[in-house]
Formats: sequence, C-alpha cells, structure tokens
Amino acid sequence: MNWTNILNFSRGPLLHVAMIIFVAGLSYRLVRVLLLGWARDRAKNKGSKLWGVIVNYLKGLFVLPFIPWVRRTFRHNELTFIAGGLFHLSLFLVLVFGTAHILVWKSLWGFGWKGLPTPILAFFSAVGIISMIVLLINRLTHPVLKMLTKFPVWINWLVVFLPMITGFIMARHLWFRYEVIFSLHLISVSLLLIWIPFGRISHFLFYFFSKTIHGAQAGKRAVTP
Amino acid sequence: MKEKTIYEHLREKGLSRRDFMKLCGTIAGMMGLEFVPPVKALGKTLGQSPEEVVAQALKTKPKVPIIWLEFQDCAGCSEAISRSSSPLLSNLVLNDIAIEYHETLMAAAGFQAEKAKEECMKQFFGKYVLVVEGSPTLADDGIYCTVAGKSNLDLLKEAAAGAAAVIATGNCACFGGIPAAHPNPTRAVGVAELIKDKPVVNIPGCPAIPEVTTGTILHFLIMGQLPETDQLKRPLPFYGNTVHDHCLRRPFYEAGKFAGSFDDEGARKGYCLYKLGCKGPTTYNACAGLKWERGLSYPVQSGHPCLGCSEPHFWDGGGFYQGQSAPIIRLDKGSTANLVGVGVAAGAALAGLNAVKKSRAKKDLRKDQSQAPGSEPGSKKEG
Repeated sequence: MNWTNILNFSRGPLLHVAMIIFVAGLSYRLVRVLLLGWARDRAKNKGSKLWGVIVNYLKGLFVLPFIPWVRRTFRHNELTFIAGGLFHLSLFLVLVFGTAHILVWKSLWGFGWKGLPTPILAFFSAVGIISMIVLLINRLTHPVLKMLTKFPVWINWLVVFLPMITGFIMARHLWFRYEVIFSLHLISVSLLLIWIPFGRISHFLFYFFSKTIHGAQAGKRAVTP
Repeated sequence: MKEKTIYEHLREKGLSRRDFMKLCGTIAGMMGLEFVPPVKALGKTLGQSPEEVVAQALKTKPKVPIIWLEFQDCAGCSEAISRSSSPLLSNLVLNDIAIEYHETLMAAAGFQAEKAKEECMKQFFGKYVLVVEGSPTLADDGIYCTVAGKSNLDLLKEAAAGAAAVIATGNCACFGGIPAAHPNPTRAVGVAELIKDKPVVNIPGCPAIPEVTTGTILHFLIMGQLPETDQLKRPLPFYGNTVHDHCLRRPFYEAGKFAGSFDDEGARKGYCLYKLGCKGPTTYNACAGLKWERGLSYPVQSGHPCLGCSEPHFWDGGGFYQGQSAPIIRLDKGSTANLVGVGVAAGAALAGLNAVKKSRAKKDLRKDQSQAPGSEPGSKKEG
C-alpha cells in the first residue's frame, strides 16, 4: 500500500461513501425533526411572514455579528463570541472561496465562481484554526463549560479541526508530501461528512430552518425579530 | 579475446578525448550524480568529480547487452528514446551499450530475431539488462499478448531469469498503465508485481522521459547497480520532486492566479493550470527539470495541465481536465434523489412507528387513569 493508492481510495470510494451517508443521514434527520410535530399557531396575522424572515436573516447574519456589544450574550462572554464568530466567518470563506473547494462545488453542481487570492485565504484559514484552539482551551479551562461538555462535543471539535489543520498544511505545502497530506485531508473530511448527520454540527442546516420559522412567527405577530 | 570497453568502442568510432569527457559530464548530470564521496588512497584523500567516476567506468567496463521486451504497449517509449533529445546519449545506448533485441528497432524479424534473443540470453546469462515496455497481462495465462507463439508471462519469466536487473519503462510496464484502466479486461499489471527475485526499477511516464530511461541504464552500467528508488521503485534522482515543485507557473499558484479555461485572459498570461485539472502537485517526474526536445518545453510550459502520467492509475484518477480536488466518484442527480428518498422514507417510517407507539401509550394511560380510583385528571402528563 502506497500513498498514491491511499489517495485514490480516499478521493474515490471513501469520499463517495461519506457523501452517501451525509445525504441520506441529513435527509433522515430533517424528516425526523420536521415530523416531531407542529404546534398549531392560533395567533392572528398582523404582519408579513416573509418580511419577518428577511429581517431575521439580515439581522442575524449581517448586522448583529458586526455590532455584537448590543447583545447580552456578547457582554457575558466576549471571548466565545469573537472566537466563534471568526471561526464561522473563516470557515465560510475558505469553504466557499477556496480555489480547491470551488472545484469540488463545480464538480458537484456544474458551475463555479471566482475564488479569493491565496494569501487572503491563508490568513483566514489561520484565523479559523487559531479560533478553534482558543475555543478548545476556553472549554478546557472554563469551570462551567467543563461541566457542560460531554464526550460528543470533543468529537465535534476534533472532526472539524482535523480537516482545517490538514487543509492548511496542504495548501501551504508544509512538512508532508502532498499526496500524504491530501489523503489525510480527505480522510478527515470523510469523517466529518459521516459524523455531521449524527452530531450537532448538523446545525449548519438546521440553523436556517429555525431562523426561518422564528422570523415567520415574529413577522406574523408584527414584532421585529 | 578480451572484451572491448565502451571507451575503446567510442575511440574506434573517432570520438576525441575532449568529446569523451564532455559525454561523461553529460552522463553524470543526467544521472543526477551531484556528489561522489572522496576516495582515500596512498594516505591522501582524493576528490573524485562525478565525470571522473563516469569516465573511469566507461574506460574499464565492457558493454552491457540490453534485451528490450514489448508487451501491451504503443511503442511510444521506444519512439521517445529513438528521438531522444541528447543524440550522444541515445547513440550511446542504442549503438554502444548494445540493445541486442528490440522488436520495433531491430532489423531482423521472425525466427531470426527470436534466435538472436535466445543466443544473447545464453551468452550473457546473469549479465544483461532487461527493459520491459508495456504491461504484462495475467488474464487466461497471458494469452492476450503473445510474441512468436509464447505468452507474455512466459516471455517475461524466461528473460528475467538471466537478467542482472529489470527496468520497466513507461506507465504500462510500471503500473499497468492504460491497459490496466477500468475495467482492465486483460488484467494488466506492473512488471514489479511479477518479478520478485530480481532488482526492478520503474521509469513511469507516458511516454517515459527518454533521458530518464537512458540515465537509469547508464547508472546501472557505471555504478554496477540500480539507482536508489522511492516507495514505487522510481529512481530518486528523477522522481524525487513533483512537477509542481519545479513548475515555472508555481508563483501564480502561490498568488492564487489561475487560468479558468484554455483561452481566457489567465491562460494567455501563463497563469497556473490547477483549475484546468493539473495533477502536478501529486505527480513525481523530471518533466519540469529535464523537459522534452532538448529542454525546449514540457506540457505545463506549453499550456496543458499535467496528466499525472508517472503515477499509478493515472487513467482512472478522475478526469484529466477536472480539478484534482474534486471527488473521483461523483454523486449524480439520480443517486442523490434516491439517497434523499431513502433518508426521508427511513425518517418517516420511524416517525410513524413512534406516533403509533405514542398513541397506544396515551390510550393505555387513559385506561389506567379511568380505572384507578381517586386519580386526578390534571396530573396527566402531555406526552
């Protein structure tokens, strides 16, 4: 067994199986959540549901993250907020605007877009990795968080961190032969894809459902979310 | 009669001493001999330059006969070597080192040719170098590739038995190459998978770079052994770096400037071809250093992404023009829809089961409460 074969395996069958589990597992989870039951909303329509949804997204994604001090969650724990925010921002940028990742999207959907310059991506991936480490240390040392943290949380951290660190090393061509670190990156990505439907990282999808539903409810009652 | 050395051969042909030393320098460079450990003699340390080592070897060693076998191949590697960029080198290998048997290049044909091979194998038993081009086939005892009525497996075993070393040239001979591409109907494999008792070196490529093949043959001739190899038995002097490592478009890669298609602004400006499917980062070969046609160019320089032809399974490793990061097996729309269907069905089924269970439990609870005296309806929990 040599690394070229391992790379072919991880780019081929392994990633394929991971994607199968990811798609089927997420659909399963989604149906399970949706069929948990809906409470009948007997409130009268006072405003536009759509407007509520739009405002909710705009505030939640584009306004509040950039003026966090107005929120109590921020004032109580600045570190988690900043590190968590930077982590999400850099993960988004690298996944969506990294050239190698765009090629993956292109192969899946048939179209691509322009990526960000490599130095900017390198900066953000480093920021993402550092925030992950900061969050880990925070979790390891914070007395209350320590009590709240159960085993799956560590797995969540690990399966997200591994693709990030291997991807960074690969893109910067550090220490390893390219096919070795490429294989390790793909193996860790497969692990992440397999784990997502079963863990709380599935919030990357469910977040949008809750955001939409909350926005619609608030819009219906004509209260700004 | 004492066998003539290579130097004597060359002198007879009218090669001057100056030309001979030039040739030695070229060979030393070709072999990647950068440094030769100093030799201790007469209480002094004598520094030996690489070309002196080469000259010494050519002056003292007799010719090495080569038997060149072709199996499932296109003769492209032979074509490449016969049009090698260094005429001196190819001459040396073709004429002076003496390829005794080569189906494509030799003048003899039919029984005459086979007889020449047999005689050579007998005369130089244990001394000759066996070069294999094209992949041996395992299916049905190798009947899908026969020469002179013998299957390729028999031919290979027969020739390898008396070989001092085996050199597999081209991706086909090294890893099965194109004949081994999915579904591999003839069960083509690399030579190293069949020959276990002889030193085997792989010179993959499609075709193999001729200077690398001649360089490896010369290395065996001069040093008396095959060069140091990597995990895939490829000689390190030539396969130590990736095409990406020495690529002349590398600065564009680092800056994130990529050609998006073969005729866009980026392609005209010579930007990196990674997005057009370049396999340079995982391909170990000397293309970017030695180049082709007397160092004129190589694929990436000419505007074509690297296909990864010196790597195993390069034919099945995803599309040539598809980015290297893209998965090899893609989820198409149909299978994605099926998977979503499976997930939804499983989720719905489980939810249905739960609903049935829940309603039963509720019914039981109600029954219990109506039977039990003094129970308060308000204490009933909502499930």
